[in-house]
Amino acid sequence: MTRYFIRRFLQGIPLLFIISIILFVMMMNMGDPIATMGGRSMVRPEDRARLTRQLGLDKPIYVQYIYWLIGNDWTKSDLDGDGIAETTGTRRGILRGDFGTSLVNRGVPVLQVIGERLPNTLILMLASEVVVVLGALLVGIYSALHQYSAFDHFITAALFVGYSMPIFFIALLSMYIFAVLFKRWGLPYLPTVGMFDPQVGKTTGQVLLHMILPVTSMSIVSFASYSRYIRSTMLEVMGQDYIRTAKSKGLPRPEIIFVHALKNASLPIVTVVGLDLPFLLGGAVVTERIFAWPGTGRLFLDHVSRGDLPVVMGILMLIAVAVVVFQILTDVVYAWLDPRIRYES
Amino acid sequence: MLKRPVLNTVLAILIVTSLILSGCGGATSTPIVPGNTPQASQTPETEKKVATFIFTQDFDSLNPMYSNMWFSAVTQQLWNCWAWVFDNNNEPIPYLVTEMPSIQNGGISADGMTFTLHLKDGLKWSDNVPLTSEDFRFTWAMHTDPKNTVASAYPYDKMTSVETPDAQTVVIHFADPFAPWIIMWKGLVPAHILQPIYDAEGTLDNADWNMHPTVGCGPYNFAEWETGSFARFTTNDNFWGTKPKIDEIFIRFVPDDASQIAALTAGDGDLGTFIAYNDIPKLTTAGLNVVTQPSGYDEGLFFLDDTANKIGSPGLRDVAVRQAIAMAIDREAINRDLLLGKTKVPASYWDSLPFYNNPAQKNYTYNPVGANALLDQAGWIDSNNDGTRDKNGVELELTYGTTVREIRQDVQAVIKQQLAAVGIKIDIQTYANDLYFSQDGPAAQGQIDIMEWSDGPSGFPDPDIYYWLCSEIPTADYPAGGNWFYTCDPDLDALIQLQSTQVDPTARQATISQINQIFHDKVYWLGLWQDPDVWAIGPRLLNVKFSGVTPFFNITEWDLTGK
Repeated sequence: MTRYFIRRFLQGIPLLFIISIILFVMMMNMGDPIATMGGRSMVRPEDRARLTRQLGLDKPIYVQYIYWLIGNDWTKSDLDGDGIAETTGTRRGILRGDFGTSLVNRGVPVLQVIGERLPNTLILMLASEVVVVLGALLVGIYSALHQYSAFDHFITAALFVGYSMPIFFIALLSMYIFAVLFKRWGLPYLPTVGMFDPQVGKTTGQVLLHMILPVTSMSIVSFASYSRYIRSTMLEVMGQDYIRTAKSKGLPRPEIIFVHALKNASLPIVTVVGLDLPFLLGGAVVTERIFAWPGTGRLFLDHVSRGDLPVVMGILMLIAVAVVVFQILTDVVYAWLDPRIRYES
Repeated sequence: MLKRPVLNTVLAILIVTSLILSGCGGATSTPIVPGNTPQASQTPETEKKVATFIFTQDFDSLNPMYSNMWFSAVTQQLWNCWAWVFDNNNEPIPYLVTEMPSIQNGGISADGMTFTLHLKDGLKWSDNVPLTSEDFRFTWAMHTDPKNTVASAYPYDKMTSVETPDAQTVVIHFADPFAPWIIMWKGLVPAHILQPIYDAEGTLDNADWNMHPTVGCGPYNFAEWETGSFARFTTNDNFWGTKPKIDEIFIRFVPDDASQIAALTAGDGDLGTFIAYNDIPKLTTAGLNVVTQPSGYDEGLFFLDDTANKIGSPGLRDVAVRQAIAMAIDREAINRDLLLGKTKVPASYWDSLPFYNNPAQKNYTYNPVGANALLDQAGWIDSNNDGTRDKNGVELELTYGTTVREIRQDVQAVIKQQLAAVGIKIDIQTYANDLYFSQDGPAAQGQIDIMEWSDGPSGFPDPDIYYWLCSEIPTADYPAGGNWFYTCDPDLDALIQLQSTQVDPTARQATISQINQIFHDKVYWLGLWQDPDVWAIGPRLLNVKFSGVTPFFNITEWDLTGK
């Protein structure tokens, strides 16, 4: 088993290398970072030429990739434009743990830029994932056990209504109803945007209060697919012989459902959750934007629109690494849940 | 092997840790100043006046050297200081200097190459260190140092030296007469804080002060900035000027327009900006006051008029075609119907600068009959009956490209329809901002016949328009050139060069008037609408005035009433 996982990790290295090349080339063609550095005015030609040189954007793509990968502290660059490379580079490259510095937040290390946003994203996304998974388990199991009941029909219809609505619509609608209209009507209301009220300060209670609308909006959209998945797998498992045997042996119903049936029914769910988890790091672009939540999704959007390649590459590579790692972890959980699965050769 | 309870525990710890991290402000490396957020959460804020501003974009940097971003620049009236600010008529007011330099008071030499500034008494940074002429010299030196990747070195790169004969006198020398001197000293950097960092690191690129300028010279102190979330500015107890009435300015970053409107109408913000015109009725209904302030920008059409006859449509090189376009577009209707009558058609490129728009230029009026006659007269007729005019085998088909801004796309559709009515066929193109304005983008590469964006004098409120010079046409040797219209008009060129050396306002006004006339007669640019700053002011805010250059110029007079 250990050898299997070591082999999987080693296989991930060339995969990440190929991913990095593809992403780097794609990002290099996404836009011109200097085009947006003039604010509301055009960048002056002298400034454009100087910044292109100073930021190393005049180098060929493969040279920029090499600098990104292994750094440029082994070579010199021409910063003053006199044609003579006189200044030794300071970048060490991602292979030595240096993801570079942001072009937008000039001089700030990429890992710091991402690190400032990651806790905000994790708190939002994990909360949403927990709400979705727990809620979907409850609803999915209940629907499976009461197939074709009035509740089953009602919840199926309600879930599909939620599923069919785009997240931006749900987010804006909920904001308008529970924040704007409730306040207008004199009812207890929720905050519109941000993580806290400046008059109160950034307390845990404030953060929780400001999470309600974004977490609810995201949960509504994801709820349907998860709960329907659980419902169908539970239905399949509940029809198996070993469940009938358990029933005939007189085991308590909760034990049959939650110990014997759910464990096997959750196998496919583990795959789905395992695939979803790495993308939690990327945040929810639309939700974070609408609720002004300062997470990595907004960070990605803001920096990709300004051609900030180091930050964008940092986020993408973080997700790529997470995908590889979580795939392996999913296999671990799979083996734990299903004794038939063993990774020894 | 992990057991399920262990997994649950790990998950629970992750959530709780995230909550605690977030709740404690651990997402930022900014030190929490005593008496700020944590204290605010413990004591009722019944007396503390906190005004919440909503900005649709986060700052890139707060150091004026490293940012040209409007949202960053406007905060400089809170925590930084300019040599002079501009009032609600966009007129300069001495701020750090005792008076505005002029030839009459000796502040500007007769040759326009030397400027002498006298600083007020008692200027100091927020850490009580005196603000002196050395800070001006240091600001110049850092802008022009090749080790610093500053956003713009202009106009400091035009200075040959900055002398400091005493602590309150700054003498600036230029190699040539420098008319746009009014754009100097937009923000200072503290020498006593940053010189040691520069000495140690050889650059200011990585200075923490860039993101956390804890020492400033404005009425407020920088307190905290959590990227993407908020920034806070609290009163500067050591401020050398009038103390502000509002205790704290809290800026919240809300990137979504609809969310900004919801937050403003719900009372979660006292001030919003970049308001879409179609949102104004909602805001006024909710009790907010919406005001517009000219800021030098006018939305307009730029025509690809390659005088070298190499690129673009031959049609646009014919001045009659450009004049016909000016007459065929109902710009008044665009302002009335698409912009809800909140804007007007700009009279000229200098519409926001009445002094330089003198005598006021007369606009082309909507006259499709006249446009048709003009095109007929110029030989552009529909000889093959395909609905599009042609001449010498060249169809009058033009590409018309701009960025994804919603109002621009609406206008594109209207203009396409109106030009089709006079036999000009338009191919609409739309691009993302960074692609459109890229050096390798379609506009710079001469791939769009009619370009549209919001622009104005390059150093508003200075009237200079350097990028219309012939020398600014992009070439293989000079790809960064800013003349994306590829227009080289010798008369215009000479006048643009002349005005940039005229420090006498009256003489410069006369030159700009001549340029203005050429712009009008040859239709090098066609204004669509004045593009002012649009502000939404909540009912709690009092005494609010805006400038188009330094919006918060009278921030110390602003006040809050009620809750």
